[in-house]
Amino acid sequence: MEWLNPYHLQVASFMLINAILGVSIYVTLSTGQLSLGNAGFMGIGAYTAALLSTQHQVPIPVGILAGSLLAGAAGILVGIPALRLSGVYLAIATLGFGEVLRAVLINWESLTGGAVGVAAIPQMGRVILAWAGDRGFSPESLGLQSNQFISLAVFLILLLCTILTVAFFLRLSRSRVGRAYAAIRLDESAASAAGIPVTYYKVLAFSQGALLSGFAGALFAHATSFVSPGDFTYHRAVEILVFAVFGGSEHIFGPVFGAAFLTVVPEALRSISDYRYILYGLLLVLMMVFRPQGVIDPALLRRVRRSGKGTPA
Amino acid sequence: MKRNGRVFAIVACALFAFVFMGAEKAKKAAKPKGEPIRAKIGVISIITGAGAGYGEAITNGIKLARDEVNAKGDVLIDLKIEDSSGKQEQALAAAQKLINSEKVVAIIGPTLSNEMMVAGPEANASGVPIMGTSTTAKGITQIGKFVFRNSLPESQAIPASIGKAVKKYNIRKVALLYGNDDVFTKSGFDTMKEVAEKLKLKILAIEEFQKGQADYKAQLTKIASLKPDAVFCSALYNEGGVILAQARKMGLKVPFVGGNGFNSPKVIEIAKGAAEGLIVATPWFADKNDPKVKAFVAKYEKAYGKKPDQFAAQAYDAFYIMTNALKAAGTADRAKLRDALAATRNFHGVLGKFSFDAERDVVMTPNVLIVKGGKFTIFN
Amino acid sequence: MFLEQMINGITLGSIYAIVALGYTLVFGVLDIINMAHGEIFMFGAFVGMLIVSKTGAPLPVAFLGAIAVTAAMGLLLERFALRPLRGRPGASHLASLISTIGVSILLENVAHKIFGAGNHIFETTFADIGFRVGPVTIYLVQVVILLISLLLMAGLALWLGRTRSGKALRATAENLETAGLLGVDTNRMITATVVIASAMGGIAGVLVGMAFNYINNQIGLSMGLKGLAIIIFGGMGSVYGAMAGGLILGLSETFVVAYGSSGYRDAIAFIAIIVILLIKPQGLFGQAPAEARR
Repeated sequence: MEWLNPYHLQVASFMLINAILGVSIYVTLSTGQLSLGNAGFMGIGAYTAALLSTQHQVPIPVGILAGSLLAGAAGILVGIPALRLSGVYLAIATLGFGEVLRAVLINWESLTGGAVGVAAIPQMGRVILAWAGDRGFSPESLGLQSNQFISLAVFLILLLCTILTVAFFLRLSRSRVGRAYAAIRLDESAASAAGIPVTYYKVLAFSQGALLSGFAGALFAHATSFVSPGDFTYHRAVEILVFAVFGGSEHIFGPVFGAAFLTVVPEALRSISDYRYILYGLLLVLMMVFRPQGVIDPALLRRVRRSGKGTPA
Repeated sequence: MKRNGRVFAIVACALFAFVFMGAEKAKKAAKPKGEPIRAKIGVISIITGAGAGYGEAITNGIKLARDEVNAKGDVLIDLKIEDSSGKQEQALAAAQKLINSEKVVAIIGPTLSNEMMVAGPEANASGVPIMGTSTTAKGITQIGKFVFRNSLPESQAIPASIGKAVKKYNIRKVALLYGNDDVFTKSGFDTMKEVAEKLKLKILAIEEFQKGQADYKAQLTKIASLKPDAVFCSALYNEGGVILAQARKMGLKVPFVGGNGFNSPKVIEIAKGAAEGLIVATPWFADKNDPKVKAFVAKYEKAYGKKPDQFAAQAYDAFYIMTNALKAAGTADRAKLRDALAATRNFHGVLGKFSFDAERDVVMTPNVLIVKGGKFTIFN
Repeated sequence: MFLEQMINGITLGSIYAIVALGYTLVFGVLDIINMAHGEIFMFGAFVGMLIVSKTGAPLPVAFLGAIAVTAAMGLLLERFALRPLRGRPGASHLASLISTIGVSILLENVAHKIFGAGNHIFETTFADIGFRVGPVTIYLVQVVILLISLLLMAGLALWLGRTRSGKALRATAENLETAGLLGVDTNRMITATVVIASAMGGIAGVLVGMAFNYINNQIGLSMGLKGLAIIIFGGMGSVYGAMAGGLILGLSETFVVAYGSSGYRDAIAFIAIIVILLIKPQGLFGQAPAEARR
C-alpha cells in the first residue's frame, strides 16, 4: 500500500472541502444573488464545531451538524434584510457581514480565544483510529500505516459528504425549487408575476448557501484541527468566488470542477506558487471577458453526454 | 627582499594551514564511521504572501548553514523547501508532502504559530521531529514530543525587557498597545499585562490595533493624553516602526518597551530617528562581540547583501542544532534524531547558549537592547 | 484630547472621502463597483513615494506622477476589464464586479512582487510643517488634505451638474443607448470617467503617504473596503454622500478608539452599512430606493 500517500489524500481532502464551498456560492448564485459572506458563514460553522468539541466534548458529527445549522440560521438572519438589496449592494453587504464576523471572532476572546484561535480540535481521522483501536482494530490489518489510515478516513468521509451534497443539489436543480431558482435568476419580476414566491426562494437559496459554507467550515475544523480568525478573511471569500466563476456557475459541476482544479493545480505547480494570486486575478478577468459562464456550462455537458452516447464504450 | 619575505609568509601560512587541515582530517578519519551521514531535511516557509519577508530571512539563514555544514562533509544535508504562503492548509499539505513524499528525517518550520498548530500534530503523529524557528505562541511544544522550537517565546523575552526598563526609568504608570488580530502580538500582550500586574504598575489604558491599519494616531493621541511613564507595545517590527514614527511625531517621547517581534534593524529603517529609546529583549544581537556572530553576519551580508535579522539567525542556529543532533544520533533515523534533539544542552550558536528544557522548549538568556544613535546597543 | 482626536478624525475622514469619491463617480455613471479602485489608489501612493524618496523631487511632481500612472491604469482597466463586458447580451451586472475583483487581486500581488510586503517610509519635509493653535498642533498636511477633498467634491458636483460634458456623462449614466443615439460618444465618456476616478485615487494615495508617513501593499484593500462601505452608507452615486460618509466614518473610527474599544475599530464601517441598509437602503444621500436600481 505504498502508493497510498497521505499527502495526496490531504490535497484531495482540501479539494473536497473546497468543492462544497464552491457549491455553497453556486446555490446562492443560482437565484442571481452574489454573496461574498460565505467565508463568514464558513467561520461560524468552523468555530461552532471547534468549540463544541473542544470545550463541551460534543461528538464530532453533532458538532458538525450544529455548526452547519447555526450557519444556516445566520444565513436566514442575513438573508431576509439582504432581500431588500440586489446585485452589487448584496455583494458589498455580505462582504461587510464577513468582516464584522471576523472582528467578533477576534474580539470575543472569552469565547473564541481571539487571534490565537482554537487549537487541538479532534481530527476526524485520528478520532476514528482511536475509536477503532479501542475495539482491537489495527490499521496494519489492512496493510496501512496509521497516518495512511488517518488520511484515508478523512478523505473517505469528505468524499461521502461531497457526493451527498452534490447529489442533493443536483436533484434540487431538477425539482420545482430548482426551476424556481432558475426563473428568479433569469428575471425576478417575471418570476414573481408567474406566481413564484420570490422572497421565499431567495431566502431559501441564501440560507442553503450559508448552511453549506458552515458545513464546509465544520469539516475544515475537524480536518485541520485548528481554526483562527485569519482563516475566514476577504481573501477566502474571493477564493470561493473564483471556484464558481472559473468552473462555471450555471451547472453544479462547474464550481465542483473549479474547486478541484484550482486546488490541485497550484499544489502540483508549487514552484510557480509565487504567482498564484496574480494568476487568480488574471483568471477572473479573462473568464469574465471570454467565458463568463465558466469552463463548464450546460451546453458543454450536453455535448459531452452526446459524444459519450455516440461512442460505443 | 621585502617581496621574498611576503612570499615566505604566505607559503608558511599555507603550509601551516595544510598541516592543520590534515590533522583535522586525521581526527575525522579516526572516527568509527567515516561515511558522512546523508539526510533529507524539509523546510516549510512562507515564500509567497504577506509574511514572505520573514520566510525569506528564514530560508536564507538555513541555506547559509546548509552550505557550511555540507562543506565540512561529515553530514550531507539535502534541503527540501516548501511554501506555505502563511496559510494553515498549505502548511499542512506541505508537511504531508515532506513527511510522506519526500520522506524527510525532520522538518524545520513552519514560520507562523498558526501553521505549527496544524503541521505540528501531523508531524508528531507521523513521528517526524519538527522544529519551529519563529513560532513563539503558547502551547507549541505541548503539541507532542516530536515538536520543538528554538525561538525564544515572548513569555521569556518580555519580562526581561520590562524588568530592566522599569528599574532604570522608575516606571510607575504604563499604557499598553498591541495588535489584537495576530497570534504573536496577542500572546506578547498577554505576557506584558501579566508582567505589568506582577510589578504592580498602573495600567492607564489598553489599546488595540489591527493589521494593515495606516493610522495609529487615534490610539496614540489617547495614550499621550494619559501621560504614561512608558508604553509597552506588542507589535511586529513592520507595524511597530510606524507606531514609533507616529508617536514621536505627536510628542509622545516616553520609552517604548517591546518584545522579540519588535527587534529588527527594519524598525530603525522605518522609524529612523523616532526609534530612539525603543527597548527590546532578544536572543539575537547583530553587533554582539562574539566571533561566531561576527562571522555569521559577515557571511550573510556577503551572500544576501543585507544584515541578518533574528529570523535568519534563529533559522541558522536551528539548522546547526538539527545537524548536531543528527551527528549525535549517528544515523538519519527520525526517532533517534528526536531523542538526540531533546538531549541538546548548552549548544553555542549565534544566539548564545541554547538548551531545550524537559518540554522541548527554549532555555536562553535574552539580551536587552535599546536603540541609541541609530542602532541597537546593550541596555544596562 | 477631544480637539486632537477631532483633527485626527477629520484627516482620516477626508482621505476616506476622496477614496469614496472615486468609487461613487464610477458607480454613478456605470452602475459598476470598481473593486480595483483601492489597489489603483495603492499604486498611486507607491508612485508618489518612489518619486519623493528616489528622485527627491518636490511634492507636486509626486502628485503629477501618481496621477499619470493611476490614470493610465484606469485607462487599461476600462479597456481590458470593463469594455469587453459592456453591452454583451446576457452579461450579468455581476460580471464587472467579478472582473474588477480580479484586477484588484492581480494588482495587490503585483505590488507585492515589486515592492515587497513591508512598510515603506514616505518622507517629506512638508509633512513636518505644523502650527500650534491653543493646546493642539495642526499640521499643514492635515489642512491640505481636507481642502483637497472639499475641492474635489465641489469640482465633481459642479462638473456633473453644470457643465456640458458633465451632462453628457449623466445622460450616459441614465441610459447608455439613448445617450449614444443623441450623439454622446459613450465609450469616450465612460473611459474618461474611469480615468478621472482612478486619478483621484492616485491623489488620495499620495495624501495617505503624506499623512501617515508610510505605505504598504495592503492599504489598497483596507482603504478600498472602507471606501466601499462609505458609498453604501452615503448613498451610491452621491457626491455629497461620499464626502459626508467619509467624514462620519473617519470621526467615528477615531472616537470609538478615544472613548470606546479600539478592537472593533475596523468593523465600524461594516456595522454602519448593515445598519443603514436595514433602515434606509438607499443610503444617507441616496435618491432612488435600492430596489429600483438594477
